[in-house]
Amino acid sequence: MKCLLIASESAEMLFYWTDLEFQQNIQKQYGFPAFEDSISTLFAPIIISFSTMVTEADSYTSFTTENNHIYVLHQFDECLYIAVNGDGEEKEEDLRRKIYVMNKMIEVLFGMVTLSGNLLRKELRARDTEQRLRLWKHLQSLLETYSHLRENDQSFLVEAVERLIHPTLCEQCIEFLERRLVQQINSSVERGGEEVLHAFILVHTKLLAFYSSRNASILSTSDLLALIIMAQNMYPSNVDVDDPSPEVQSGDMFILSFCALLCRACSLSFVSLFFTSPEKPVRGSTPVFEFVDPDIQMAEDSLSTLEVYPPDPATPHKVFLEVSQKDGLYPMMPHSMYCLKLWPGITLVLLTKFPHSGVAMSVYTFWEAFAKLEKRLNEGQGGSTRGQPMHEVRSKLDKFLKTLSSQLQNVWTEFKNRAFSRGGPGFSRDLILWCKNMKTQLCGIYRQCFLSDSGPDDTPRHLSPGLRERAQTMVQEQLMDWKDFLLVKSKRNITMVSYPLSDFPGLVHFICVDRSSGQMIAPSLSITERTTSELGKGPVAQYIKNKMWSLVSTTRHYLQKGYSTLTLRDGDFYFCYFLWFENETGFKLEAKDIPIMPDDSAPIGMLAQNYYRKLLRYYSKNHPGETVKCYELLTVHLGVIPTEIILQHCRQLASKLWEPSRNPLL
Amino acid sequence: PCELAVLSHDFHCVCNYFFLYDGSKVRGEADPTRDGICYFYPEETPLDKQELLCGQLAGVGRCVSELSSSPARTFRLRRNKFAIRMKDDFFWALGCSVDVPTVSVSEFLDQLIDLFCFYNGPVRQSYQLNSQETLAAQWARYLSHLQSGSSELSHIFSCLKTIDSTNVDPLLLLKAALILQACQRCPLVLAGCILFRGRVVSTQMSPGLTMKVMIHESETYTKAQRPNGTSASSSFSGTVSSTTVFLTAPELQDLQSAPVDKGFRCCPTTPQRDGPSKKTRLSRTLSDTPSPESQVSNPSLSKPPQKASLSPRLSDSDVFSPASSHSAANSLNPSPQSLRFLSNGENTVEDEAEESRSRDSTGGRSQIRSEGDGSVFEEDSHLNGGEVEGAFGGVFEFQAVESGNEQPHDDKVVEEDSRVSRGSVSGHKAGKSDPPALLPPPHRLSDASEENALIPMTLYMHRVKGLVLALLVEPHFMSDAASMEEVYHSSLASLNGLEAHLRTISPGAPGGPGPYTFAHFDCIQSTLTTNLSGRSGGAWDQPFVRATSLLHSHFCNTETLQEAIIRSACTAVYGTRSVAQETYFQQNGGSLRNSGIPNHQDSAFSLPSKARHRLLKHGVNLL
Repeated sequence: MKCLLIASESAEMLFYWTDLEFQQNIQKQYGFPAFEDSISTLFAPIIISFSTMVTEADSYTSFTTENNHIYVLHQFDECLYIAVNGDGEEKEEDLRRKIYVMNKMIEVLFGMVTLSGNLLRKELRARDTEQRLRLWKHLQSLLETYSHLRENDQSFLVEAVERLIHPTLCEQCIEFLERRLVQQINSSVERGGEEVLHAFILVHTKLLAFYSSRNASILSTSDLLALIIMAQNMYPSNVDVDDPSPEVQSGDMFILSFCALLCRACSLSFVSLFFTSPEKPVRGSTPVFEFVDPDIQMAEDSLSTLEVYPPDPATPHKVFLEVSQKDGLYPMMPHSMYCLKLWPGITLVLLTKFPHSGVAMSVYTFWEAFAKLEKRLNEGQGGSTRGQPMHEVRSKLDKFLKTLSSQLQNVWTEFKNRAFSRGGPGFSRDLILWCKNMKTQLCGIYRQCFLSDSGPDDTPRHLSPGLRERAQTMVQEQLMDWKDFLLVKSKRNITMVSYPLSDFPGLVHFICVDRSSGQMIAPSLSITERTTSELGKGPVAQYIKNKMWSLVSTTRHYLQKGYSTLTLRDGDFYFCYFLWFENETGFKLEAKDIPIMPDDSAPIGMLAQNYYRKLLRYYSKNHPGETVKCYELLTVHLGVIPTEIILQHCRQLASKLWEPSRNPLL
Repeated sequence: PCELAVLSHDFHCVCNYFFLYDGSKVRGEADPTRDGICYFYPEETPLDKQELLCGQLAGVGRCVSELSSSPARTFRLRRNKFAIRMKDDFFWALGCSVDVPTVSVSEFLDQLIDLFCFYNGPVRQSYQLNSQETLAAQWARYLSHLQSGSSELSHIFSCLKTIDSTNVDPLLLLKAALILQACQRCPLVLAGCILFRGRVVSTQMSPGLTMKVMIHESETYTKAQRPNGTSASSSFSGTVSSTTVFLTAPELQDLQSAPVDKGFRCCPTTPQRDGPSKKTRLSRTLSDTPSPESQVSNPSLSKPPQKASLSPRLSDSDVFSPASSHSAANSLNPSPQSLRFLSNGENTVEDEAEESRSRDSTGGRSQIRSEGDGSVFEEDSHLNGGEVEGAFGGVFEFQAVESGNEQPHDDKVVEEDSRVSRGSVSGHKAGKSDPPALLPPPHRLSDASEENALIPMTLYMHRVKGLVLALLVEPHFMSDAASMEEVYHSSLASLNGLEAHLRTISPGAPGGPGPYTFAHFDCIQSTLTTNLSGRSGGAWDQPFVRATSLLHSHFCNTETLQEAIIRSACTAVYGTRSVAQETYFQQNGGSLRNSGIPNHQDSAFSLPSKARHRLLKHGVNLL
């Protein structure tokens, strides 16, 4: 019983996703012919009441019922997100995280358009039914991919990137990406004005090698995790295939229909490659995900389904990522993402910069200026804003608009008349509305430049297919000998066997995270029937896994309330959690009180609303000029081990793991 | 990108909002929301704000309960956290600060509603019989009682306020327990408790029931406000009063069953909303060791009367109205209550008779056992073992000193015998024919009816200055002059003595922060032992209270969790729990400077052993 929906303030459904059980339940209660009608009718009172309460300066954050259904509500700008769970599999915190992740994915897909409620509403609820269904299916499948990863992949549990631990190979690959691949693409005439900024190779969800060109800004962990979700969504890996969860199957349906398409259209080699995994047809025979929405049904009947999916997986996706420059942080700057499949489970991802991305920065700068002005006016500081900043914006915007002709110009002229003319009202509260107008117009420009299919000029702005193919082949050749090793390695990245029993008796599992770099290390927790980990098969491993998952959620709860150390004796196990800060030389910095936050604050993690970045910034205030690093360690021991020994283990792990020379793994 | 917000903590104001909304009064579009508002706290809230909150929350409540096919339980807003109850057309909401643990808010609301039902009977019916203003005063009274003067910790645990047993001579506690046992010798007395200045000295009732009874002692409450059901007995110089109260079926069964049978009786019941009733009744005093009365009303014997009496009780109209509950005392017109009483009484009478006989003879104790007729008794004596005998010894000695007068017993025996012969032939017969014990527990009513079934009883109060003896008695106890006199006189002298002793005890002066802070919660008795000064606001207390509140929630939600240490930069708190208790410990003072990195020499990890040693002298055994 799961559901997630996005509604506008007027209770218009902008997006929904439900599992089969929830859908059947709704259908049973309200037998409207169209499912969308049922769900909007049922939720409408909640949505309207939410808006009413907001005007009273309070708003709902969650509901629970006596049969333990949970509802979580959160508003981003003008969009209300509601997530529901009725099967006990998700807690309130999980639902809130899902909402934030959904919002993050929408930001990655729509960039600055998300800053205007009106424009975003038009994007999410396109008039064209087919276009809308295509988008909704895509978002639904992204959500399912994310949920599946969060439930099964440790790196998505703690929201940090897991690297494949193989320093030599990793180094070789980075060198290859830098010297050969990126250099060759960026010097090719077929690159269509684009420039590769980042290139990385994924083995399932794990990072083998990552290269950023010299003039690229750092790719944030949040964005990298979002991109991994997108890549996984395109090429779901089969690591957990013998543990099928209904969550992924819809994704697979997507892939299968997509495959059917390919059979007709593409080269046979690709398809045969695709079907090398024996599980695929098996899964296809039991399709679980069926939409009963008559709209969709109709669409499917009229075979327009075939067009619902993007015609070519290699078609770049527009993604909007954070760029940090010397003069500041620019969220949601346009990039193209190329996901090239090398082998099943191994993917090459290229991120390129648009030729006109400078425009995006200007638009964002102006938008920010108006947002700030609006905030100041709202706070009643109108009089003091007649100063420099807006005059500076004025001349810059005048210059900027010379290159563009649009509705923006008219609004801007109007704004200027009010703000700057002698007889006009000046910087008063009346200007707030015009600030809003300007912001919407700027988002409109942004949409026109970067989101609509025809850009400002009609020159093709993509790497040519030939170039892409060459890139793919180059990396395939390079990794050919390693392919099988990599696939195995990704399942057994490090194992508890690497930790001699004599050194760590009683240690069952651990996760160590470097929050400054957004990376994590953990022994693999394979719980499938086929692969036996040291934890054994089935129930025991599953038990440890469940415990680990709930431990992470517990530690986050305490961290949210300001506790950075935690030990728990739970059943037959003893759990520890530590968070600490170091400077660059590895000197342990003294603990400082961590801010206490309300229960309904943004989830703690790095994928959406990077908590640790804020935490580091908060902590760094007392350490000016020093690079502060933040680490976390979680361990599970057998309960019979004396606490002193357990703490010694933790200390050893904490000091060894990040020092390659002493790391027993390397 | 904004900075992390730092939240200030304020547990002081427990309840921000409380309201009861009757959806049945607002059916049509034109019906104004205000018609449905039965009570709203704070009362000075502007009406449109009241309407907004009631309308919105009740509306969303209905919507959510439809979507999930289950009543809403909690609503969280950014500034308030609401516990919600929905029953019939009623909608209750209790809003607290978001920092109060959700479990505690929910428990608070349950207590509030239970209190109301305890003194007023079913909600729908009380609103039919009484004016809204009268009942508003009731809600206000219960609300202020539940919030009054207790510390933040007691709100977290919803515990009983008890006298500080470390300051009190244990003999006084024993004496209190004996007074209660003596009272229980009257067959019409179900159970009792003794309170001193708003704190429990000794109780025979479950924590939940004790908590309900305690409100009568509340200082904020004046007699003038009592709406109904209360009468001061003239013959006892104004120190004795009584009021009608309503027990739930499980509560009544609890009282009627011997503690020995408790486990056997409690297990198979359907899960109940009612928190305290889940807990087993135990008492640290001797008062709970089975008295002859409670032995007799063990499941197998009390079952038939229940069967006979509970079914008619389900119809609200004839049983639940105060009028009928008063008439219950009339033995000529046997209403279900008196029927049940009679059959109970019958058993008790036999027992009484036995006892008087045994008292007449010199070797009393052993004779009680041997003279018990029938297999059921023998079984019980096996189960009870030797402790019981010790308790009996206490009772007898005590009675010999304090009451000395056995005449009332004998009188009553005769009186009751005559009633028995008239009233309960069927019950009696069934009692004999039923196979003894080891059956499924006494016929449980179906879920719905069980919740609705509220059985009128009488709460008898005897006040001696700051001391109050509160007894739950059969409704016709108040009309039974002989029984009343007996209970009154048998306890008067000892109550006076107890009061005089308790009065002289000075409360231990709350000192500043000691070397450590601890809180020990007894989940079974619902009592809290702590060295935190009761007054909140001590800056050094806040971190401890916050940590305790978090850990308590965690313990409540995770059954397998046994112990935890949590540490922030400035405090480290250790929490441990077993089935029966939760203990929290914090070391004060000293430097906690650390880098947060795992270190076995870290002082935080020595908390468990420190707690074990330090708390021994407070009577807390963590070994």
